[in-house]
Amino acid sequence: MIQLFHVTKYYEGCLALSDLTLRVDKGECILITGPSGAGKTTLLKLIFGAEFPDDGQILVQNRNIARLRSTDIPYLRRTMGFVLQDFKLLPHKTVYENVELPLIIRGLSSFDARRKVAESLQSVGMDHKRAVQTSVLSAGEQQRVCIARAIVNSPVILLADEPTGNLDPQLTYEISELFKAIHARGTTVMLATHNRQVVEQINGRMIKLDCGRLLTDQGTLA
Amino acid sequence: MKRLIYLLREAIRGLRANRTNTLIGIITTAFTIASFGMFLLLYHNVRTITGSLQNHIQVIIYLEDAISTQEQANLKHALTQETHIETLTFVSKKQALEEFHEQFPEESYLLDGIGDNPLPASFVATVVPHDHVSDLVSAMVTRVKELSGVEHVRYSRDWVERLTLFTSYLEMGALSIGLILALASMTIISNTVRLAFYARRDEIEILRLIGATGAFIAIPYLIEGAILGAMGGGLSLLFLRGGFEIVKDKIHDLGWVGGLQATIDFFPIHMSGMLVLAGLILGCAGSALSIYGWIKVRT
Ligand SMILES: Nc1ncnc2c1ncn2[C@@H]1O[C@H](COP(=O)(O)OP(=O)(O)OP(=O)(O)O)[C@@H](O)[C@H]1O
Ligand SMILES: [Mg+2]
Repeated sequence: MIQLFHVTKYYEGCLALSDLTLRVDKGECILITGPSGAGKTTLLKLIFGAEFPDDGQILVQNRNIARLRSTDIPYLRRTMGFVLQDFKLLPHKTVYENVELPLIIRGLSSFDARRKVAESLQSVGMDHKRAVQTSVLSAGEQQRVCIARAIVNSPVILLADEPTGNLDPQLTYEISELFKAIHARGTTVMLATHNRQVVEQINGRMIKLDCGRLLTDQGTLA
Repeated sequence: MKRLIYLLREAIRGLRANRTNTLIGIITTAFTIASFGMFLLLYHNVRTITGSLQNHIQVIIYLEDAISTQEQANLKHALTQETHIETLTFVSKKQALEEFHEQFPEESYLLDGIGDNPLPASFVATVVPHDHVSDLVSAMVTRVKELSGVEHVRYSRDWVERLTLFTSYLEMGALSIGLILALASMTIISNTVRLAFYARRDEIEILRLIGATGAFIAIPYLIEGAILGAMGGGLSLLFLRGGFEIVKDKIHDLGWVGGLQATIDFFPIHMSGMLVLAGLILGCAGSALSIYGWIKVRT
């Protein structure tokens, strides 16, 4: 599903990821941990085609990201969902409109879109705020809308960067359960987090990064 | 369908979000298009006037006094063969004299002393209206002069040629000024759209992250540009119409010939439509220009 071969990434001469080799199979649940600045976000962005490796190869669903034409990237992204560290919601639009947007982009009919948005919002418990502008939502609520948007079109791969960064323990519990449920449906999940509670609650394959290097990978140990 | 509505709504939202910029964009575009329109209006009217003058070109073929009936019949036959002659009227010596007396009663005495009627008989031909009438008429006149029984041929050649030349200068002027102004309004619209674009770059990043294609992101801006341009074109029509009425009144006040006032008119509807269309296309091109480089960025 996702393969990285000796991937190296620099930001303006500063090393962010170094010689990383990783293989993720379909239906796996990966927890990426490591201190701040370890390269967690960078790893997810590379898989998403939002950054490009300086060295090495990345295959996502058998497509080589580095060789993909810029016009093909949108279509790759449509098979994935991305929950960003900073939510990136459209502030002047309602919760409903934000979650609906990926479906509009894909040209889905209104009827199908309405059903999918409703399902998605219900699963994150935000259905009652569907008509509210996202700019007035609390951080935790925005986080959940962001997840709803990421899963609205049943992605094959779900990437999440600190999805519980702004949540209290109760909400963190609920969101973690949500990710477990999404994973149980067969979605490949990659989740970057510092949060011990999340790591303990979601029983996935743990990958530890430090200073751009792969420290431990449970997958290779097991 | 849903997608289309979304794109349209985004474009309109963009225009409303930057009201001041939108307004400035529309007004400056209107002024540039109006300046071009002024030229076009002048051209249009000079052309119509030239056209109507060209429709009234008369060629008068004076006959030799000694012409025989046979020769005259041959000549008439030859003239009817000319494709550019629309109507042909024969004016006999007697008719010519009567017309002279009628038109210049004061000067009638001039002819009295001469005894014999000195005025020649003639054929008066009107010419079929045609774009290159002056060339065609010259050629025809050369041919007709060679026919036997023709004394000489007269036609109003000079001013037709001058007017034709003038319209061709106007044509070139309108073309070059139009080109420059088109570039100007394209730049204006391109800037307006670029501002809108910068104001919403966060949004664009989000759209890219959720898998929007370059086209999907660009279309609202293209529509914005098109609306700006078309509205600018529409407004320029209002300016032009206003200016036109003022000029028309001035011509009237100056006591210029009523004929001129009757002849000058505003654009026909299809030309007005073309101005708006030109604005629309310029607007679209302007925004395409401002987002072109950006579309190619990968992330
Ligand atoms: N756009 C960028 N330009 C320059 N340097 C960057 C950029 N993005 C990340 N970096 C650097 O790359 C390194 C890895 O960053 P990354 O965001 O992947 O860390 P992280 O593991 O996600 O950290 P955190 O847990 O704080 O989110 C850091 O040293 C960071 O400063
Ligand atoms: Mg990060």
